[in-house]
Amino acid sequence: MPSKETILTKIKSNRPNLWPLPDVPIFETLATDKKKLFIQILERGGSKVHCIDDSTQIHQVITTHFPEDKRMVSALPFLEGIERISTLHPDFYEGTEVAIIEGLIGVAENGALWVTENELGYVRVLPFIAQHLVMVISEKNIVGTMHEAYKKLGLPTTAGFGVFIAGPSKTADIEQSLVIGAQGARSLLVILTP
Amino acid sequence: MMPHAQKAAIFNKDEARTDWHDASLWMVRKKRDFAVSEIPEWEFIREFASDIKMHTLSKLDDYLEAFEKAAIQNGAIVHWAADAKEHNDIVLSILNKHQAKKMVKSKSMLTEECHLNEFLELHEIEVIDSDLGERIIQMLNEPPSHIVLPAIHLKKEEIGELFHRELHTEKGATDPQYLTEAARHHLREKFHTAQVALTGVNFGIAETGEVVVCTNEGNADMGVHLTPVQIHSMGIEKLIPRRSDLAVFTRLLARSATGQPVTVFTSHHRNPKPAGEMHIILVDNGRTEQLGKPDFRSSLKCIRCGACMNTCPIYRRSGGHSYETTIPGPIGSILTPGIDLKKHGQLPFASTLCGSCTDVCPVKIDIHTQLYKWRQIVSEAGLPEAGNKTMMSIMGNGLASPSFFHRLGNIGRKLLRLFPGKERFLSFTVWTKDRDLPKAPVESFREWYAKQAKDAQ
Repeated sequence: MPSKETILTKIKSNRPNLWPLPDVPIFETLATDKKKLFIQILERGGSKVHCIDDSTQIHQVITTHFPEDKRMVSALPFLEGIERISTLHPDFYEGTEVAIIEGLIGVAENGALWVTENELGYVRVLPFIAQHLVMVISEKNIVGTMHEAYKKLGLPTTAGFGVFIAGPSKTADIEQSLVIGAQGARSLLVILTP
Repeated sequence: MMPHAQKAAIFNKDEARTDWHDASLWMVRKKRDFAVSEIPEWEFIREFASDIKMHTLSKLDDYLEAFEKAAIQNGAIVHWAADAKEHNDIVLSILNKHQAKKMVKSKSMLTEECHLNEFLELHEIEVIDSDLGERIIQMLNEPPSHIVLPAIHLKKEEIGELFHRELHTEKGATDPQYLTEAARHHLREKFHTAQVALTGVNFGIAETGEVVVCTNEGNADMGVHLTPVQIHSMGIEKLIPRRSDLAVFTRLLARSATGQPVTVFTSHHRNPKPAGEMHIILVDNGRTEQLGKPDFRSSLKCIRCGACMNTCPIYRRSGGHSYETTIPGPIGSILTPGIDLKKHGQLPFASTLCGSCTDVCPVKIDIHTQLYKWRQIVSEAGLPEAGNKTMMSIMGNGLASPSFFHRLGNIGRKLLRLFPGKERFLSFTVWTKDRDLPKAPVESFREWYAKQAKDAQ
């Protein structure tokens, strides 16, 4: 008997009686100012946050944080003078100093930002391979909790990959000492637009 | 196999190091407490998580079929493995199909359980564990001592020494920042040259066919997105019904594991990258067996956060390696006796039954109750590990008979008075090895009570 049938047959004879599936309520945050909490949690996790009044300022913010002579790759369609996503070949993006991408949802309770491959121009590796990551998100898209985030996300329709990113890559594998910049980005700058 | 108690005794010989190990884990436990305190509805979501998992287990066959269907529709290739051997054979066949000789792997307790690395190395495949802690212990040829913090037992001096040897870092360098940087460069090269990436799976979603992988270092994503072929090895109990259930589990997992509000990366893989291939291997390896044990099936709710280890006074002071199991600590001690009672039957005794593991478990597994129940099974099976049987039967008879108990008490008090200062004369029982016996009272409660009754007359 193929293993699939063996496994399914064994489950049928061994499983417990039907246990009801609970309806989980959408727990909301008690925080009155979600934006403030979002920034606070991001900073606690080692990220930087820069608020701007107008999305035309994005370029300027990036150049104040990073030297312009390094390789920058943008997945945003509107940044003049910055390299855009071209090939889908992932190795091509090794050597990217700064990647600039858009976050779709921000979660106040844990500082996580949701992004899918659609916003990455299908270069899934981009947020991980870059030395530094910039995520642009509108404060309108900040929700309180993960329950609200998944409610907003619904079921995936087009994207084959999606990820919550909650800061720069990190590790504490050597004597529990926190080191920022493990295998992925060494820093995360979140630019909050109105 | 050396019993846990003996291995723990060896671990305890270095008292300073034992204290250090204890304190490191207690710090993680305290971080967990803080993170939990930020969620007022914590107890409710624990209950929801437990119910969602129990529901899934009660319909696991249906959900597995739904998951497979959705995953195939997404373009993934789904395999079923009844045991470790079949799992390893499947991985090897995928590697062979692509003539791949190099594979990067992110953390997966399942592949530890299957001894995948050893198997692939026999077939001349280079396996690179890409999580920093896992890479360290891989270089040392050791198993992980903790499921979330694989190298928690090592000092930075030892890692510095190892990296000097393997990665040519400066001799005597111990700065974690510097050592991590060296590993980063070493691993980057591996990500670009491997042909296949394998990850574990934190959650499989039945309604969408997605696999969700939670990491902090970004190593799983580096591997998966840089190599053409991705493999996700998943225990069948990792399923959850709905995508929205992830809200519950992502809130619980990292807070319980390390005290972070969420892991840095929570990656949802639904389909292969363009021109890539995505494999999902569904593994049983004893899980359906455990499902058939009413007293122990709820151990399959486990989401591998490690909170029970961090809080366990025995684990903290004996180290993960003393358990000699893939999954050490309280949860390992209820998962593994079912696999091999003779080999692991002593583990349910490596506990004080204090219940702290049950208190911190995010999916409400009654770990200490199950430890107690395993003890009954081990004792009934007549295994020698079942404590001191002679002593137990003397105590059992003594406590059941008032007159015998009375006499036993008298003898005991006399002995204690005859050998003052030699409290540890009962050296044949481990109980007095590190414990002083109390001073013998002048009279027993019963004698005192009898006197009171006389005086009152």
